[in-house]
Amino acid sequence: MSQPSVLVIGGGLAGLAATMRLAELGVHVDLVSLVPVKRSHSVCAQGGINSVNALTRQQGDNEWKHLDDTVYGGDFLQHQPPVKEMTDWGPRVIDLMDRLGVPFNRTSEGFRDQRRFGGTLYKRTAFAGATTGQQLLYALDEQVRRREVEGLVKKWEFWDFLAPVLDESGRCRGAVCQDLVTMQFRSFPADAVVLATGGNGLIYGRSTMSMVCTGSAVSRAYQAGAWYGNGEFIQVHPTAIPGTDKLRLMSESARGEGGRVWVPRIPQDPRDPRSIPEADRYYFLEERYPKYGNLVPRDIATREIFDICTNEGLSVEKDRLSVYLDLTHIPRETLDRKLGGILEIYEKFQGVDPRDTPMKIFPAVHYSMGGLWVDYEKSATGGLVEGSLRNQQTNLPGLYAIGECDYQYHGANRLGANSLLSCIFSGLFVAPTLVNVCGRRVGDDTSRLFEAEVRRQEERHRELLSRTSGDENPYALHQELGNLMTRVATVVRRNDQLAPAYDDVCRMAERWKRCAVSDTGSWTNQNVVFTKALGDMFPIAKLILKGALLRDECRGAHFKPAFAMPGLVATEPEARRREAEQWCDAFAANTNKWLKSTIASCGPSGDPVISYQDVDTSLIPPRPRLYGLVGGDAIEEVWKERAAKAVGGKQAVGAGA
Amino acid sequence: MPVAAATTGRNPSAAQPSPRPIVSEPSPSFLERHQFLIYRLFSLAGLIPVGAFLVVHLLTNASILAGDDGRTFQSRVDMIHSLGPLLVPIEWAFIFLPMLFHAAVGFVIIANGMPNVGSYPYVGNVRYTLQRASGMIAFAFIMWHIIQLHWLGKPFGGGQFDPHHAASTAAEALQPTLVAILYAIGVLSTVYHFSNGLWTLGITWGLWTSPAAMRRANAVSVVVGLVLAAAGLGALGGMRSVDVSKAREAETWSEKQKRAVTVPGAAVAPTPIPVAPH
Amino acid sequence: MIKASETVVDADAAHGGHGDGNATRTVRVRVLRQDVAGGESYWERHEVAYEPNMNVISVLQKIAASAKSQDGRRVAPVAWDCCCLEEVCGSCTMLINGRTRMACSSLVDRLMAEDGEEIELRPMSKFPVVRDLVVDRKRLFGGLEKVKAWVPVEGSYDLGPGPRISPEEQEDAYPLSTCMSCGCCVEACPQYTKVEVVRRDDETEAEFEKRRKAAFNAGFVGPHAVSQAMLFNAHPTGRMIADERMEALTRQGGIQMCGNAQNCVAVCPKSIPLTRSIARAGRAATVWAIKKLFDR
Repeated sequence: MSQPSVLVIGGGLAGLAATMRLAELGVHVDLVSLVPVKRSHSVCAQGGINSVNALTRQQGDNEWKHLDDTVYGGDFLQHQPPVKEMTDWGPRVIDLMDRLGVPFNRTSEGFRDQRRFGGTLYKRTAFAGATTGQQLLYALDEQVRRREVEGLVKKWEFWDFLAPVLDESGRCRGAVCQDLVTMQFRSFPADAVVLATGGNGLIYGRSTMSMVCTGSAVSRAYQAGAWYGNGEFIQVHPTAIPGTDKLRLMSESARGEGGRVWVPRIPQDPRDPRSIPEADRYYFLEERYPKYGNLVPRDIATREIFDICTNEGLSVEKDRLSVYLDLTHIPRETLDRKLGGILEIYEKFQGVDPRDTPMKIFPAVHYSMGGLWVDYEKSATGGLVEGSLRNQQTNLPGLYAIGECDYQYHGANRLGANSLLSCIFSGLFVAPTLVNVCGRRVGDDTSRLFEAEVRRQEERHRELLSRTSGDENPYALHQELGNLMTRVATVVRRNDQLAPAYDDVCRMAERWKRCAVSDTGSWTNQNVVFTKALGDMFPIAKLILKGALLRDECRGAHFKPAFAMPGLVATEPEARRREAEQWCDAFAANTNKWLKSTIASCGPSGDPVISYQDVDTSLIPPRPRLYGLVGGDAIEEVWKERAAKAVGGKQAVGAGA
Repeated sequence: MPVAAATTGRNPSAAQPSPRPIVSEPSPSFLERHQFLIYRLFSLAGLIPVGAFLVVHLLTNASILAGDDGRTFQSRVDMIHSLGPLLVPIEWAFIFLPMLFHAAVGFVIIANGMPNVGSYPYVGNVRYTLQRASGMIAFAFIMWHIIQLHWLGKPFGGGQFDPHHAASTAAEALQPTLVAILYAIGVLSTVYHFSNGLWTLGITWGLWTSPAAMRRANAVSVVVGLVLAAAGLGALGGMRSVDVSKAREAETWSEKQKRAVTVPGAAVAPTPIPVAPH
Repeated sequence: MIKASETVVDADAAHGGHGDGNATRTVRVRVLRQDVAGGESYWERHEVAYEPNMNVISVLQKIAASAKSQDGRRVAPVAWDCCCLEEVCGSCTMLINGRTRMACSSLVDRLMAEDGEEIELRPMSKFPVVRDLVVDRKRLFGGLEKVKAWVPVEGSYDLGPGPRISPEEQEDAYPLSTCMSCGCCVEACPQYTKVEVVRRDDETEAEFEKRRKAAFNAGFVGPHAVSQAMLFNAHPTGRMIADERMEALTRQGGIQMCGNAQNCVAVCPKSIPLTRSIARAGRAATVWAIKKLFDR
């Protein structure tokens, strides 16, 4: 290792952004990816990328409001300085991507066009057709290819990250990876290792995620000692197309462009949806949330759709839960221009044209808000100190995490079109940090450490290959795990389901040890690679369940009805006021108790040890999310009075001192 | 920089090297270094002069349909042959060499392609395959055609066409049914090759770029093809139905006329040709 | 407004799992397998239970799970590439019933209607087989390298927004930009022929890479790369190295190799107007060559 070198694991938006910037700053990058980087899961993001822009600014928007929307949408569970830094960078990130040639949709004047996404009142979302993620990824892929030609980047595509290599001080000194074609192992010594490996949707069996989103890389870092934050927060996307192999996303932009969600008022109305008159249609989101209508945040939309189907029995079909997402009132040309790509997906996989017939959709697991715990250094202005060695660093020095696989930006729930921003931002932002890490390299010989880790991995591999007579089928076990997780740890969570589910997963993890591999070859053995990844799903599944079980409250995507705070029932003003006061007391108490990051560290047997960490809410004090709650206005009134008093009190104290 | 620390698993391709390297060491030949220029000249040659000659040739031949026992046809032939000794270099420079060049490059192109019309039976692909097939047929036909009729074919027992007895010698040469069938195939292949080539040439050079423009250009090339096919087949039919004895009569008369007013090697004076009484 | 849910939802019911009723129906599949790169290929038959709305991916998933051939022999699962399963990543290209397509968007019902009883799966024929249905498509990305398919920005520092672009230009560029490097166009292209370079025993990795790159560059660059060159030559900043792209497009294996079969546009899963790009590249090459001849 003669020159400074960084190992980036994962070639999605975050990994490529980091690689691009590192190469630009003169650092050599080894880029390891399970698939050719151009095929990373980021391509699936459809809707767009958020930032404040010239138009919204004139409507009163600014970076602070983007920060506010993000933390409010995330139910205040994220540390605010990194989010502030991200939203401050938003306009720059979009400008950069624009310069890189992303074909953003244009206004008639040739400026970037924007649309409105859920959880905000501003048109902040820039988009490129219905494949914004793909377009952003390609722009970065192209820049990285350019650097590759120049010789600063070496790609290792079809390689699997197996483990970080730590020295005696616990510092990460590189990693061991495996070639998925030749099945050879290789050491990658590096000044820093960056994980940019995305989400873990495959733990839920079928989700909207790609087949590489097993979470195995993160799990391997976690098992090596990295902490995992907020694991129980899993975003379920309200609108997905049910399928047998995967659940395909129907972008929120379908609602953003005016799509209306409804069910027939008559349960399982047998009529053709097009012939059902307006009076017989229940536009439940519009009726229940007049202000936001169909653009309520994702968690609300998800639960409402779930509720309308399961509790009200108004699912469109009886044996298959779904509601209508209707675009048929929008002119075809508009749909083709703005949503062409995503509508094609529906048509292609369902064989029905959504321009003529309302789509049938249902929620599906979509995004992991949780991820590797990472640090940051707060600046005097409330943002981050650029280039600080702590930014994006896990608790293992030298090991960094960016993009969806860190836990930092989305709190309890992610706003639509914020993920692309967080991925690119964290990738760009970590680069100066890594340059500084390279500047302080540790010079001692690490070959012994790597040899030991390679031997350990070879041993694990050999042991798996020798399991030909086990009675468990890894694919069946995966399906079982997925069904269980989908049942108990998605939209609605109950302790009496989570507790036994945890035990079930522990048993499955034991059963995994009896998995038989059906391919014992040493050439492109996908069977053993999958079995390995499956084994690494259990520690993460456990921490998701444990975190969800322990968190007795409702926050963002984590919804536990037993601990929901009901709306007000009194109608008489004074009683209502009293109830609102009580509600606010309860809310304050709950915030005090639960506004904490869940931190899981891996115990010896793969069981999580859970602890909690306070959240930095120094910029925007927490306030209740009252979307659609009965009596919300009364509660808001009380809350505002209290907040004003608190500020007044603080000022008084300040004046007195 | 990463280093291979250990290796498990064997690399079969390394363990069992392929008996022969599939691609040899790259050493770009003249042809490879100037591939673009050569392919563009190839494309151009197909239009000018080879294609242009084809059009003139077929339309000249179609004058046999004038119904005057080949008198018009003879006069056209005479016009061409009035070039005298210049005809040979002109033929080589503007017809034979460009055609040989077009054919040679064409064979290289055909050898490098892998037609797959069985798996992808789309119209464009069928046309692509036919273009190659028709090119080969056209080449074989033209070789045969030259040997059979052109004076170059004399050493091989061909060269049956006599420019002074244009209609009658052509008619005699084309009388056998098999010859006529082969001519029909050859002429149609050549015409297809030309008119389809006209269309692809427009794409190659970027004359028509949008699918709509390509469709319009295609319509034009179809019309060109039909006209030329009609001219070619018409000429073939016309030649075969010439009354040889009457044609000889007309040719002898024409010969006399020419002798009367010309000196060898000079241009033909425009003489009105009387129509033979029926 | 959201009530506590008392309902336990079965994951299968929620996501379109289907009960029995189709238990007897099966899908028969014939797979052309190959155990290692450069090895012999052989046919193997499989049979899996039919489900409504299933695609070739679900069939392959079932084959992987059962790891048995039709005659009940235990076999290694069929290897294949896939990732997004929604036809945006470009991974799962294979020959399905003889035609190049994406396994994820190939619905079994349609394939059965098209070709009767059995579905035939083969690896792409224009790329070296790695194993079974997995092929090595590095050459595709090499094409992008060759034509410099990127915008040559100075760097990632904040230098303001990109150039203004009219909606018409955006609508022209966007379809080209959806190319996912799946390789369907080159698979169906009769002018794009297989290049397989095998590493020699006495060769270092770098030497091998160099030799392979030269071999790739000698062959046709492919419709996808031509189209990307046109995409970037149309971009206000990308066009600043337009001449370099034209130079690449007129080198050996360049635009001149196109034979106008137009299969590329017919098989492109994203309906990218590839022949328009090719014709535009032809026009640009004409102008460029004339300029080169008379301007220097």
